[in-house]
Amino acid sequence: MINLAEPLKIAYSSIISNRLRSLLTTMGVIIGVAAVITLVSMGEGAKSYIMDQVGSWGVGSNSITIQPGEENSHTIEMNMTYADAQALRSKVNNLQYLMTEFVGRGRVNYGKKEYKPGYTLGVSADYPFAYKQGAAEGRFFSHAEDAGRKRVAIIGKTVARNLFGEFSPLGENVKINGVGFKVIGVLEEKGTMLTYDMDDMVLIPSTLSPLVLGTNKIWEMFMTVNSEDQVPQAVQEIKKILIARHKKEDFHIHTQQGLIDIINNILNAMTGIVSAIAAISLLVGGIGIMNIMLVAVTERTREIGIRKAIGAKQRDIFFQFVFESVLITMSGAVIGITVGTLAAWGIMDWLKMSAVIAWGAVYMACLVAFLVGTFFGVYPAMRASKLDPVEALRFEA
Amino acid sequence: MKDNIVVRITDIKRTYYMGKVEVNALRGITLHIARGEFVSIMGPSGCGKSTLMHILGCLDRPTSGDVKLDEVDVDELDDNDLAEIRNKKVGFVFQTFNLLPKLNAIENVELPLIYAGVGFEERRRKAAALLETVGLKERMYHKPSELSGGQSQRVAIARSLANDPSIILADEPTGNLDSKSGEEIIRLFKELNHKGITLIIVTHDQEIADHSKRIVRLKDGLVVSDESVK
Ligand SMILES: Nc1ncnc2c1ncn2[C@@H]1O[C@H](COP(=O)(O)OP(=O)(O)OP(=O)(O)O)[C@@H](O)[C@H]1O
Ligand SMILES: [Mg+2]
Repeated sequence: MINLAEPLKIAYSSIISNRLRSLLTTMGVIIGVAAVITLVSMGEGAKSYIMDQVGSWGVGSNSITIQPGEENSHTIEMNMTYADAQALRSKVNNLQYLMTEFVGRGRVNYGKKEYKPGYTLGVSADYPFAYKQGAAEGRFFSHAEDAGRKRVAIIGKTVARNLFGEFSPLGENVKINGVGFKVIGVLEEKGTMLTYDMDDMVLIPSTLSPLVLGTNKIWEMFMTVNSEDQVPQAVQEIKKILIARHKKEDFHIHTQQGLIDIINNILNAMTGIVSAIAAISLLVGGIGIMNIMLVAVTERTREIGIRKAIGAKQRDIFFQFVFESVLITMSGAVIGITVGTLAAWGIMDWLKMSAVIAWGAVYMACLVAFLVGTFFGVYPAMRASKLDPVEALRFEA
Repeated sequence: MKDNIVVRITDIKRTYYMGKVEVNALRGITLHIARGEFVSIMGPSGCGKSTLMHILGCLDRPTSGDVKLDEVDVDELDDNDLAEIRNKKVGFVFQTFNLLPKLNAIENVELPLIYAGVGFEERRRKAAALLETVGLKERMYHKPSELSGGQSQRVAIARSLANDPSIILADEPTGNLDSKSGEEIIRLFKELNHKGITLIIVTHDQEIADHSKRIVRLKDGLVVSDESVK
């Protein structure tokens, strides 16, 4: 059996007794790995930042938006109905939530007070799940209440403040465009998004839209499927169902796929550039290591001769030098990973984002460093192991 | 019957080729050395003493001729087997000590044991015992640079003994030492020989050779005399 622990120890102590030189030897690897880790960590951080931004809007990568009107047409023909929505709800596979949205102007009266919210929307009971905005107080209405045309309303914080001040609006009766409603919930606060006050709205069951908002045409449908990869199939199904009902494609469908594709393309391009940097710097680093290892073999010719004279086999010498090369390179990788991660954290902190530890890149850097150390260590180690003992002993440094 | 011959070399020749020039360092040497012998090899500079020692120590191979160490036919062995023989059957002592400068005394003595695959505990114990044998118990953790020439050579001798070899080969072991240290080394060799260790030393110094039991003289790559010391 080959004992690898001893050559490893010998290699280790040789590196330790030559700390500065070992550090300089592996500088190329340190810089290369640090650069890659920094860029990848920042990239991952940026990606999760973007995904978070997209996600907080309520639209995840598994969402599909259907809007009336042909793609890119200027005159929008409003022709999607509650019945269309019900057809999709019953036929699309892997459907998670389906939100129909009717939009109109509203005028809300409470006693003598009157308030005109930014939006009055007729929505389905999936709203809190689809848009990830539930009721902060009270509750949301159910599918049964929607289907049963129950006159219940959920109001945003801004509306609540304007009509009820400090008092709880729950259970109070209001009139919306003259139709009597009971307030059953107050929406979670969402704040302002692109200058729109997201809390300045009133939600009523979609089935009451014709009566209250004067429209039976859906403004937009928003749905989610169980997972991101089911999106393309769902899109096909939606098209088929709606075309069958409308006899033409008078609607258009948006998915997050386009945005995700763009983000992924950018990140992939970045990964490509990073890989190229990594490849070049590791190649340069590797050649540097090979160069120093060759020098080390020459310098230590006498040591090699002594070791051989007292019984070191070729493979003992070979492993000693390969391990030295691998250890130096791996140390470089570890230092590079540390420096790179700290740099990424520093930069991202400065950009008010957070860096992600790119574990994939970390493992990759270790693996590649191992391979580089081995590859560029083999030739010098071979030279060392093949030295003639008598010649080596005669060598004067 | 297996007799007690440790070294049996027959008609050894060693030729170096330097471009077109041939250097016949050894031109046909036959030598038998029995277990427990203490042999000095003498001769003028360039007569082939070191070349012979290298071949005896399996550091080098003869151009032609037969080498048997402990009845093992060395010609048949590959480089790995030779390394193993150097490790287990031969102990080399050099004129220039050849200790590893970054290791302390005990670590230097441990080296052959490492390559023999001996575990840490045991080799520490053995190396310590050997350093005690050569009188360096107090200097175990000193680096070679902190030792005198005579002390360094004693570390080297302890190292050569590490794997209980069949034979110790010493090429001018006192060549770099003052006469007092040289005397001490020779006294150590004599003690080891008394314990039954087979020794071959190369020396230019007749006084040192006189401490051994047999003197072999070389000239121009040939044995010119081989006699016991009275
Ligand atoms: N590697 C070599 N290449 C060419 N010639 C060599 C080589 N090694 C030794 N020789 C020659 O072989 C001859 C014997 O050399 P060797 O070293 O054995 O002599 P020596 O008896 O040990 O001498 P000294 O007493 O000076 O140590 C010399 O002529 C030397 O020049
Ligand atoms: Mg010589």
